[in-house]
Amino acid sequence: MTDTVLIVDDEDSVRRTFHEWLTAALPGVQVLVAPDAETALRMANEHPIDLAVLDWNLGSGSDGLRLLEDLVEFQPDVVAILVTGFAHQATPLDALRMGVRDYIDKNQDLTRESFVAAVRKQLDRIHPAKHQRELNRRLAVFRETVEKILPIIQASAAFNDPVPLPEAVKSFLRLLIRSTQAADGALIVRHTTAEGSESTTAYRSDGEKLPAFPVPFNRALAASVISFHEPVALNEFDPQTLGPVELLPFEANRSCLLAAPLRISSDTVAVVELFDKAAPGFSDDDRRWLALAAEVGTDLLRHAVAERQTHRLLFDAVEAALAATASVAQAPAVSSVAETPPADVMQRLKEGLGADTNSLADAETTLRLVEAVRALAMQHGPRAVDYCVRIVRDLHQLLDEVTGTN
Amino acid sequence: MNSPTVFDEIFARLTPDRILRDPRATGEGIAVAVIDSGVERAVLEEKFQSAGTPIHPIEGAIFRPHGPPQEYTGHQSSPHGTTVADIILTIAPRVKLYSADVFGPTGSCEVETVITALRYAIDIWNVKIANLSLGVPEHKLQQLPRRHQLQRAIEEAYFRDVLVFAAAHNEHPLMRSYPAAFAPPLISVDKGLFDDPLRFAYKLREQVEFQAHAKGYLGPLAREPATSWATPHLAGIAARILSLKPDLKPFELKTVLYWLFRSSCQRTG
Repeated sequence: MTDTVLIVDDEDSVRRTFHEWLTAALPGVQVLVAPDAETALRMANEHPIDLAVLDWNLGSGSDGLRLLEDLVEFQPDVVAILVTGFAHQATPLDALRMGVRDYIDKNQDLTRESFVAAVRKQLDRIHPAKHQRELNRRLAVFRETVEKILPIIQASAAFNDPVPLPEAVKSFLRLLIRSTQAADGALIVRHTTAEGSESTTAYRSDGEKLPAFPVPFNRALAASVISFHEPVALNEFDPQTLGPVELLPFEANRSCLLAAPLRISSDTVAVVELFDKAAPGFSDDDRRWLALAAEVGTDLLRHAVAERQTHRLLFDAVEAALAATASVAQAPAVSSVAETPPADVMQRLKEGLGADTNSLADAETTLRLVEAVRALAMQHGPRAVDYCVRIVRDLHQLLDEVTGTN
Repeated sequence: MNSPTVFDEIFARLTPDRILRDPRATGEGIAVAVIDSGVERAVLEEKFQSAGTPIHPIEGAIFRPHGPPQEYTGHQSSPHGTTVADIILTIAPRVKLYSADVFGPTGSCEVETVITALRYAIDIWNVKIANLSLGVPEHKLQQLPRRHQLQRAIEEAYFRDVLVFAAAHNEHPLMRSYPAAFAPPLISVDKGLFDDPLRFAYKLREQVEFQAHAKGYLGPLAREPATSWATPHLAGIAARILSLKPDLKPFELKTVLYWLFRSSCQRTG
């Protein structure tokens, strides 16, 4: 983060001397020089200015204080040192209000050392605030960019055309019940995370969620079915041989059962249970048929369940990014400015994207898109992102027209 | 008519009745690892206690893909392992049972986890028998290094005189399942239905050699014939034999099983 000092003086020899002193003593500082107010304002329009060293008398009726007033319009945070041979004429209160932090009297204390010391002192003073401003600016842009990414992520759901889960469950169970002539059915969906959290949800044949899963999953009949790895038909339902199994309310008092595990993803598994086919109960043909149907059902549910899960992960990652930017922005001071989003935020985004088995673009590609949008915003501001979004929409429309897609 | 040879004499003496029904053939002194989904200890202890055949305390460990083995808490990840353990204890109630829980909460396990558990059972628990009522379908072992790792672990067990019993796929021979298809270093088991759970058959079919009784006793799914239940029946039978002669090598025990089957065939015609 380079500091920029603008020297404005109508005397060429003074400008050259100040420029030489500063570039020699403060090599990391960018020094701009302007002979008059007009040039100074043009420079302020093109470059960020941290400190202005202004001659009190700029000739042509212009003075440094008035110039500072105009400079603040371009650079609200600029501070200034006023160089004057008429210190007694300055109005300290107004000058301070406008950002004058020091005076140098041309006639008394102007030496190389005193000049450099005065500039260095002001630059040192503004550094923390400048860092904070820069960080806030970048975070604000990142935050704004993330907020713009959200619709893109949500739009990706439209590409994948997800099926609502209750609809998927209902359709699947209706198909199975009709085909096997079972009286009823249920679907149990089990989800675990790498962090060790677990959740189990049971759905009725109409797709409605059952209120609770009242037994530990490791003792559930569904857990047995999962271990079986293939459809199982049970026509001798003997409550005396339950052993390590506890039945759910909707499993109790059934005459027979046909069940199959559906492995939806590495951390989500479902079990379909069909009940009470008229005597003699479920046959080997039913079992084989369920094995085939389970493959179709797995795809259907994978689409519905994994899609929701992926979006949850993505939204988690985006929320984490927003939370991270918000908390950093509130911090009192920072020593450095992050050039890229926090690594953990990017990692969560990547994991979320990687978990999307149905995604049309892989995690790397998607993140490249996100990074490109972020870089665009950083360099050219939110309007550039708006423009980018418009281009994407136009392209979308064009492709729709070309391909005849509605 | 030829006079009987020594083999005829051996076969005449090696009968299922003499060996399997020997009062000392209880599994006593034999350590068995159930590499499965964990065992619900209290359920089995209570069942066998009330049946008047108290069992040795069940010990074990929980194996997951990452990290060291975790402490066994006496619980199952799913009921499958408990049904398997119950069958072994029903056949050989005095074995010392170790539960190696290799299944996670989603009911799946990695090949590497099975290998870790098998090695742990051999090195730490000093088991003589490992029961694997689980299998990895062939298409999941396409990667040769994984297949070799599993095969090497099975061979290590063989050379350290540990008998590995592995379930064939329930759709065998249409579906091949590993490690059962690694026979002969292990004893692969298909399902069959027998009027006596101590009966079994040698029936070589696509690398799977034995059939054993395929119905279990505990849990609603135990009555569904499955290779998962056949395997612990044969493992339990092996434990009974080993309690009479614990130093039998895997190939000796396989031979004894084969001879017992031949003997029973001759007797029943």
